[in-house]
Amino acid sequence: MDVTQYLEIFLDETKEHLQSLSDQFMILEQEPDNMDTINEIFRSAHTLKGMAGTMGYKRLQALTHDMENVFSEVRNNTIKVDSQMVDLLFQVLDALEEYAENIQNTTEEGTNDNEHLIKALNDYLAGNTGAAAPAPAPVAEAAPAAAPAPAVSDADPAKEKWRDIKLGDTEKTVLAEAVKQGKKCYGVSVYVQESCILKAARAFLVFKALEDLGEIIVSVPSAQDIEDERFEFDFSMIVISEADAEAIKKAVLDVSEIEAAYVGEVEVEVPVEKAEVQVAQVEEAAKADNAAAVAKQDKKPAGKPIVNRTVRVDIEKLDSLMNLVSELIIAKNSLVSTSTQEGMLTNSVFTEQMEYLESVTTNLHESVMKVRMVPIESVVQKFPKMIRDLSKKLDKKMTLYMSGEETELDRTVVDEIGDPLMHLLRNSADHGLESAQVRKERGKPEMGSIFLDAYQEGNNVIIEVRDDGNGIDVEAVKAKAIARGAITAEQAENMSDKDIIGLLFLPSFSTAKQVTDVSGRGVGLDVVKSKIESLSGEVDVRTKLGEGSTFIIRLPLTLAIIQALMVEVGGEKYAISLGSIQTLEDIDPSEIEHVQAKEVINLRGTVIPLIRLNEVLDIESTKSPDENLLVIIVKKGDKLAGLVVDELMGQQEIVIKSLGKYINKTKIISGATILGDGEIALILDTNALL
Amino acid sequence: MNEIREQYETTQFIVVKYGDEQFGVDIKYVDNIVRMQRITRVPKVQSYIKGVINLRGEVIPVLSLRLKMGLEEDVITKATRIIIIKLESNECIGVLVDEVKEVVTLENAAIEKVGYDSKDPRANFVFGVGKEKDGLISLLDISGTFAEKEKEA
Repeated sequence: MDVTQYLEIFLDETKEHLQSLSDQFMILEQEPDNMDTINEIFRSAHTLKGMAGTMGYKRLQALTHDMENVFSEVRNNTIKVDSQMVDLLFQVLDALEEYAENIQNTTEEGTNDNEHLIKALNDYLAGNTGAAAPAPAPVAEAAPAAAPAPAVSDADPAKEKWRDIKLGDTEKTVLAEAVKQGKKCYGVSVYVQESCILKAARAFLVFKALEDLGEIIVSVPSAQDIEDERFEFDFSMIVISEADAEAIKKAVLDVSEIEAAYVGEVEVEVPVEKAEVQVAQVEEAAKADNAAAVAKQDKKPAGKPIVNRTVRVDIEKLDSLMNLVSELIIAKNSLVSTSTQEGMLTNSVFTEQMEYLESVTTNLHESVMKVRMVPIESVVQKFPKMIRDLSKKLDKKMTLYMSGEETELDRTVVDEIGDPLMHLLRNSADHGLESAQVRKERGKPEMGSIFLDAYQEGNNVIIEVRDDGNGIDVEAVKAKAIARGAITAEQAENMSDKDIIGLLFLPSFSTAKQVTDVSGRGVGLDVVKSKIESLSGEVDVRTKLGEGSTFIIRLPLTLAIIQALMVEVGGEKYAISLGSIQTLEDIDPSEIEHVQAKEVINLRGTVIPLIRLNEVLDIESTKSPDENLLVIIVKKGDKLAGLVVDELMGQQEIVIKSLGKYINKTKIISGATILGDGEIALILDTNALL
Repeated sequence: MNEIREQYETTQFIVVKYGDEQFGVDIKYVDNIVRMQRITRVPKVQSYIKGVINLRGEVIPVLSLRLKMGLEEDVITKATRIIIIKLESNECIGVLVDEVKEVVTLENAAIEKVGYDSKDPRANFVFGVGKEKDGLISLLDISGTFAEKEKEA
């Protein structure tokens, strides 16, 4: 399966984690006992390891795995953090960053195993405190490894990029043939001045000059790319010529705006076998020379390096953009209403411009909104591959079924939701599903199923991760919690199953008997919970022993703009999100029945409780009691209720504004919006009413 | 020396009136003073919160200091103003006042720290009294009055 489409996400996330590691290491250096930092590093390492594994970057995975192991011990207080360890950690970070950079440039992680780092980490594990001695040694080694020094003994090998050119069989034969004929093979690297405007033209002149002297066998980037100006400021080639190196250098330098040329002889020996060895040596040298250079050279013929094509924008900037757009719309609306009053609309030019302004603001508005909304697809599409890999690794048969990938969420939320979902899926695969054999014995299909369902429900987006595995064994959790000292036996007696399951979300709680590199250290669930809560969402678990469990993530639609129905209650304007509205009904007061002294209506066979909004909002209704009732049927999950309002004012796109921290959080009001005429309408959170 | 300098250091206050009583608001907290405008009521919040207003596209809560200090309800007149207070947290709050009178510059020496009787609800809102030609000005303790999180509903 092709993973390149996830590369961007992987790179973005990896960079974030590396940044966070770097920040946390700094803190660790100051406060070696800071448990929060240690936990954070552990989680970052864990996540990085998981991601690298999914993408198939073995070296990256190995290194993070060992780092995670060390921190696992640190977390358990068996290893103390000292300054040498922090030094080592920074070296590890450098190595990780190098991997990431290689991946960004070439999609490959490079060939540096960083064995000394892995060894140093393992020394910490093995010798615990005895690591003081082995640590400094790798420090010395690390420098050349992290930033490989030029291995070729040339004056300025870094500039002689032609050494990095890889030759195919045909080229090798051609070169060998040329040498046989007494010609010489030169490698040429040309640097164009950075101020040069017509790089391609200069390159063309260089080519032409060299072709007068001999034959260009291969060039990097390719001639086509050079012609299209797809190169930075340098290009290299292998040339066969009868002229000497100086002549070639002069020919190149004669072209104006060429900064420098490096010419060297490529040693190709006549016997073909030997020539290959030579070329191979050149290649070897190139590899050892500079991994990054190889990367560049590898990639250039294929076009641009894989740079993130997305631009990450701070969500605050989007917020302020959104605010500006909404203010623009408000200003436009008031302009429209003033001009109507002033009779300006008779002026056709004015009207035209006004309409134009309106269409522009509407489009602008939509664009900004779209920028913020992304389908969760970008996050979940890497999961099937992950599950397949897990299936192999765990030797369990399983399939992932996904639905609702198109469900859109605010960018902030989508960016953050990947990790928790990954943890939950791993959790289901590792702990939830039984092995094929056990499943068979229990009369279940051998193939385990994991479901990932996303859907919108009112003002929330629900994401469910469900499996048909063993479910959560409440007794096992209880026993474990008592053994761990998280709760006492007496406390356990009084706890409901739900409370017990809640213990799973505590840090470092895992019921897995074995520590695997999939999950099972209890990192997963507490990360999931804290992450979801930081997005002001909730995690809920439903489980039935032997039948499977469901993790339900409920996220608020923290959208800046929603479609809302505007209503009037007692002369005040309120907005109700269209998402939670099912139908609008016109109810005769005689249809109201009473159940347990509460008003209900029977709507097409369903009994629905009535909520008189004017009572909830402490205001007098403007309608007389014998008039027909306007009822808005809203839903929350399976629950329905009828909200009684005075007037309907129509549907409108509204910009959600916070009421600020100073007003005590009132559950039924989720925010406010500014209407076209500058008036404020409050937004009702119907979920709080049901 | 320092003591003397301190004595002569000055602070500017905006003098507002509640009935006949004058209150001073340290000018550094005042973001804006706006005329009375339509206030949208917010149900189910603290009783002294009058609601929210739209101030150049921002939703700003407006509260009644009268109610908060336990005085009688505000009477909206032509002189009524909303003072927009900007707290350290960058959060804005509108405060209803009966009237904005003037800006005065008080030397620190003219400010007397007074302790109200702790039973007086005003004790929590005023940090001192300024003496000025027109009489006394109770100086409002802005950070104390607004910064703390309100518990009462």
